[in-house]
Amino acid sequence: MRRRAPNLVVCAGGGGVGKTTVAAAMALASARAGVTTLVVTVDPARRLADALGTTIGSEVGRVDVDPAAAGRLYALMPDPKSAVRICLDHVFEGERAAHDRVASNALYLALEDAIAGVHELMSVVLISRAAETLPLERVIVDTAPSRHALDFVTYPGRLASLLEGRAMKWLGSLATHAAAPPGPRGLVAWGRRRIDRIVASTLGPRVIGDFASIFADLSIVRKRFTQVTRDAEALLLGPSSRFVLVGAPTAAARADIQHLARRVHDLGRDASAIVLNRADTGPPGWVASVRASDPRPDLAAAVEILETERAARTLAADETAAAFRKRWPGMTQVRLPMIASDDPATIVGRLADAIAPSLDDLVGA
Amino acid sequence: MQKLARVVFVIGKGGVGKTTVAASLASAEAARHGRAVLVQFGDGDAGRRALGRQHEGVELVVIESRDAIARLGGAVIGSDLVARAVLGNFAVARFLGAAPAIRELAALARIRAVSADRPGLRVFVDMPATGHGVAWLRVPAQMRELLGAGPLFEIADALCRELVAPGRASIVLCTLPERLVVLESLELWRALERDVGLPPSRIVINRFPSDMPRDALEQAHALHRVRTGDDRTELAELVETLVARRAAWDEARDVEARAAQGTPVAPIVLPQLPVDADAAAFAQLLDGVVR
Repeated sequence: MRRRAPNLVVCAGGGGVGKTTVAAAMALASARAGVTTLVVTVDPARRLADALGTTIGSEVGRVDVDPAAAGRLYALMPDPKSAVRICLDHVFEGERAAHDRVASNALYLALEDAIAGVHELMSVVLISRAAETLPLERVIVDTAPSRHALDFVTYPGRLASLLEGRAMKWLGSLATHAAAPPGPRGLVAWGRRRIDRIVASTLGPRVIGDFASIFADLSIVRKRFTQVTRDAEALLLGPSSRFVLVGAPTAAARADIQHLARRVHDLGRDASAIVLNRADTGPPGWVASVRASDPRPDLAAAVEILETERAARTLAADETAAAFRKRWPGMTQVRLPMIASDDPATIVGRLADAIAPSLDDLVGA
Repeated sequence: MQKLARVVFVIGKGGVGKTTVAASLASAEAARHGRAVLVQFGDGDAGRRALGRQHEGVELVVIESRDAIARLGGAVIGSDLVARAVLGNFAVARFLGAAPAIRELAALARIRAVSADRPGLRVFVDMPATGHGVAWLRVPAQMRELLGAGPLFEIADALCRELVAPGRASIVLCTLPERLVVLESLELWRALERDVGLPPSRIVINRFPSDMPRDALEQAHALHRVRTGDDRTELAELVETLVARRAAWDEARDVEARAAQGTPVAPIVLPQLPVDADAAAFAQLLDGVVR
């Protein structure tokens, strides 16, 4: 029986903003609040995996770092290569022969690497799969640290339509044309037939043959493929999905967020919130303490260094926050401080504390 | 130390600061040799920002995916007009959207053309973030093997011989002063050597932390010990911060040593700056690389 689709929160942001840690912190805050939550990270530093006690792989693992979240926090840290295989298995479930043909298809093998590059897409399929067996209420999805990280959201829909209607017919006829001798180059071509021949002669009979073979096998599992892709699409673009933008007070992060906000808008949605990481609002409590204590020279110098850094961050964060408030006046903003700790679990825990008051705004509860 | 080739691929995971490094290298090159080319993917926004004030002599070339594929189609089919008609066909467009290898091939073909059109100039390519390291640079060899014959095969073959080859291109690998990131980078180095035949020429360790005054931590501990109540709690946070900074420093130094051992050329270290850094900040430090 199909469970209700979990509330999916997609975290997008540019590189180096601490997105993975923020996603983990959001998941921890969510679990502490009593909601069964899965965090999916796309490019995890093994340090974070170690901190959460999970391993990189394609199976969901329980996270037991915090008794306040006991039994409610899960993590999935997919390994791209095996993720593609698992998705292949999932789509071709029950059709062993077709599965094996595709798995050994030269074109598929050549593109497996590239398909693995669409990490997020594999993750979404893995999430659907996990949601079939676990009572997941919420999924926090970390994405690649790039402004193109949301491109994958439209892939399921596009892939599903590949097997429907006109595209399928064209692809079928392409294989037939591969057998015909190539047309002369340089001719202006009108009508589909010449286009077919041009594409066929460009890619060569071997590739076309492999390609046609993959699609023939995909049409055997057409219903399942369509279901898997449509489920993925519903997860990503359905009523219970949210997009959260994560940035830091740097010009690059700001530009990435502007770009991603537009992308979310193009998808027919609007981001629910902006999280500004490493965006301290003011000096930490110990600054006054130390200055009042007539500190020894090395300590005094260290405090000045830390304060100079912090002040620069705060100034940049204030500017960024103001710019975003002007551009998107209604959007929730959450500012998180820089947490300096040697232990990633501590950082995640403290960030979760800072996120807790704004959690409902972030996840659109 | 070998000189950099005419085309320099700047690679690394997302978030390590590749764009700043690529822009800084291009600036350093322009400062030393008069002119340079910086190639960026996407809309070139990040490249412009990274060049900042230091853009004199640097030509920014932006490669856009659809345009690159159309040009590739034009080269293969023999006519740009026909190519655009073909690519306009909805089904073809969908297939190409789902066939990333074509995208990479088109981009590399474009890079080769950009370099060929500017003889004598060095071209620095800010490569898209590589989750899978060698994927991009391996595409020509993969496509060559897959296709076997035909116009696209010939393009893939030319790229293998004339672009992604020692003496034709160099690789600058960017990493961070964190143990796991460097380990991954060193694995990437080996993979590039093995699968592409092109080991990186240099490794750049970005965002190197600054050291704290030597006795700061001990002095903070001492202060923490004598305080009470809220004060004590606040100071505990300071101690934790200083512990973290020292750990980061120790790790960074360790990483630098490992990188130096694991690679034939000493790594270049770029410091972490408190605010946005652009090419001006680092161009001088990279002068030795572009000599």
